[in-house]
Amino acid sequence: MNITRRNVLLGATAAAALGPVAARAQTSEVVIGVIYPFSGASAQMGVDAQKSFETALDIINKDHDFDLPLAKGEGLPGLGGAKVRLVFADHQADPQKGRAETERLITQEKVCAVVGTYQSAVAVTVSQICERYQIPFISADNSSPSLHRRGLKFYFRAAPHDEMFSAAMFNFFDAMKKKGVKIDTLALFHEDTIFGTDSANTQLKLAADRGYKVVSDIKYRSNSPSLSAEVQQLKTANADVLMPSSYTTDGILLVKTMAELGYKPNAIVAQDAGFSEKALYDAVGDKLEGVISRGSFSLDLAAKRPMVGKINAMFKEKSGKDFNDLTSRQFMGLLVMADAINRAKSTDGEKIREALVATDIPGEQTIMPWKRVKFDEMGQNNDADPVLLQYIGGKFVTIFPPQAAIAEAVWPMK
Amino acid sequence: MTAETIIQSLASGLLMGLLYGLIAVGLALIFGLMDVVNFAHGEFLMIAMYATFFLFAFFAIDPLLSAPLVAAALFVFGAVVYLLIVRFAVRAKANAGMVQIFSTFGLAIVMRGLAQYFFTPDYRSVTHSWLGGKTVSIAGIYLPVPQLVGALVAIAAFGALYLFINRTDFGRALEATREDAGAVALVGIDKNKVFALGWGLGAALVGLAGAVMAIFFYIYPDVGASFALIAYVTVALGGFGSVFGAFAGGIIVGLVEATTAMLLPPSLKAVGIYAVYLLVVFVRPRGLFGSM
Repeated sequence: MNITRRNVLLGATAAAALGPVAARAQTSEVVIGVIYPFSGASAQMGVDAQKSFETALDIINKDHDFDLPLAKGEGLPGLGGAKVRLVFADHQADPQKGRAETERLITQEKVCAVVGTYQSAVAVTVSQICERYQIPFISADNSSPSLHRRGLKFYFRAAPHDEMFSAAMFNFFDAMKKKGVKIDTLALFHEDTIFGTDSANTQLKLAADRGYKVVSDIKYRSNSPSLSAEVQQLKTANADVLMPSSYTTDGILLVKTMAELGYKPNAIVAQDAGFSEKALYDAVGDKLEGVISRGSFSLDLAAKRPMVGKINAMFKEKSGKDFNDLTSRQFMGLLVMADAINRAKSTDGEKIREALVATDIPGEQTIMPWKRVKFDEMGQNNDADPVLLQYIGGKFVTIFPPQAAIAEAVWPMK
Repeated sequence: MTAETIIQSLASGLLMGLLYGLIAVGLALIFGLMDVVNFAHGEFLMIAMYATFFLFAFFAIDPLLSAPLVAAALFVFGAVVYLLIVRFAVRAKANAGMVQIFSTFGLAIVMRGLAQYFFTPDYRSVTHSWLGGKTVSIAGIYLPVPQLVGALVAIAAFGALYLFINRTDFGRALEATREDAGAVALVGIDKNKVFALGWGLGAALVGLAGAVMAIFFYIYPDVGASFALIAYVTVALGGFGSVFGAFAGGIIVGLVEATTAMLLPPSLKAVGIYAVYLLVVFVRPRGLFGSM
């Protein structure tokens, strides 16, 4: 094709005319995809997550006087005050639907970043699609350690993973032993998808390293109609500590079946998930006085950092619930992503990725007990210190590590 | 493995198996009557559990008292489902089987969706009831009272159903319609009425099961799914259409499940059930008590 002066002129005029429009379209709105289960067995997780993300969105898009990234002023200043818009997609806890929905978010909805997903098994496929389209993905609340070890460049996780959580549990056991508490044997009870399996593998390894004997390691099928046989085996093993890695449904059934079969362990130290859910405590809380769960969040923090209480109140107004371990991580996930987009001053995937790599948010500017948010070369934040919480008198109190604890652990549980 | 462990596992399996039978029998009844598999059977169970929960939450009615009410409500619901949906689905001239499958399957999806919309996907529980959390212990063997009562309810329901089918006029009409729906019309039996009552009865039985289960199981819109699968294999194992087959099938499924969990890792306990089913298909494809 011949390029004449007229062509060039025409082209230049067209570019000049389109330029401002394109620039404005880019900066007036930043679209982020949020992918969660909104139907199926774990739909309630998606419903709660949506409220948490909407709370974070309120803080980003409106003017708030909190010491959090993007709280002051409206929208993203780096993009001329552009507002963030969220597009919610439903993966139904199915990795294949997660794959398809992520593709739709990226190609149809034109999202520049994705946050998800509750189930770790779904995060696997969602992050693969994001990697292919070079769209940054933040695992807000997935805790499987294998997720960040797949060599993905666009994968980030601000929250702790199960090895960090489990390490905290074993640090706690060591500390209790020093005080003269007898903890020699452990029983693992975990569901059969990536969450339960990864969690149990980590716990098995830590137990071997630190000289604890695993007397029972029970893998069960998620959403089983009955757990009598499983609980029977736990009862026979009668370990010093029972360590469940279960979602809400199985958690409720586990506790009920334990009571029915007359099994009362000395202590339960749970890998979060179902054991941080209000529904579980509504159903069987009376049988769980003294249960310990790991967490990345504690409302006790509100005493030291008043904004935590205020933001919790904003969330509670929308959802009717307090922040829990999951919803607090979801809140932080969106905030960290929006902060990176703001610093990238662009909605280009690679530029956002570079900004995420450069992230360094001090712990005081989060709602978490973390040291800071800073990603390693695999996209994992190793400064997200977990806490252990004990369920006492209808609420959770922080018992470990000592610098965050506000009470001594009650051992054995009631 | 001690003798105590084995007895405990088998006892738990037996109690659960009787409940599986009670859940499945409505499915078997409807299939036997008109050769239609109700793919919304799990959702019938789900709404029965919700009905029990709401009667408890709003009116503080114990599940034991609300069980007859829930069964009655499900009876009406089942009959209405027949009159409004299934009656038309079975009229299809082409691909009749497919139309029946998708009409009840569609009903299942709609029911689940409506439950999620109106009841929210949150997990509910009947937090305190007369039986809930109670356990009797005999020589170190623990028998949870809710499951024990559930098993007794199942046995009573099967007994009543047996008498009903064999000793009453309506039971005979049911049996006759199942044998030859065309011929019964000639002797003045309204086929639609019998089918509607059959659906009502099938739904009432799963309603009874739902009320009992609400005492010890969590309730959410998808709760029917895991039980429905077991109900299908129970019916297939016992013999399609055979009420007694569902009873026996339930017990077998419960015991096989418990035994498998003792021998294999518990996550594989469903494998035992289906292996036994495949074996039954191999030697007796119509099911253990199926007539053909």
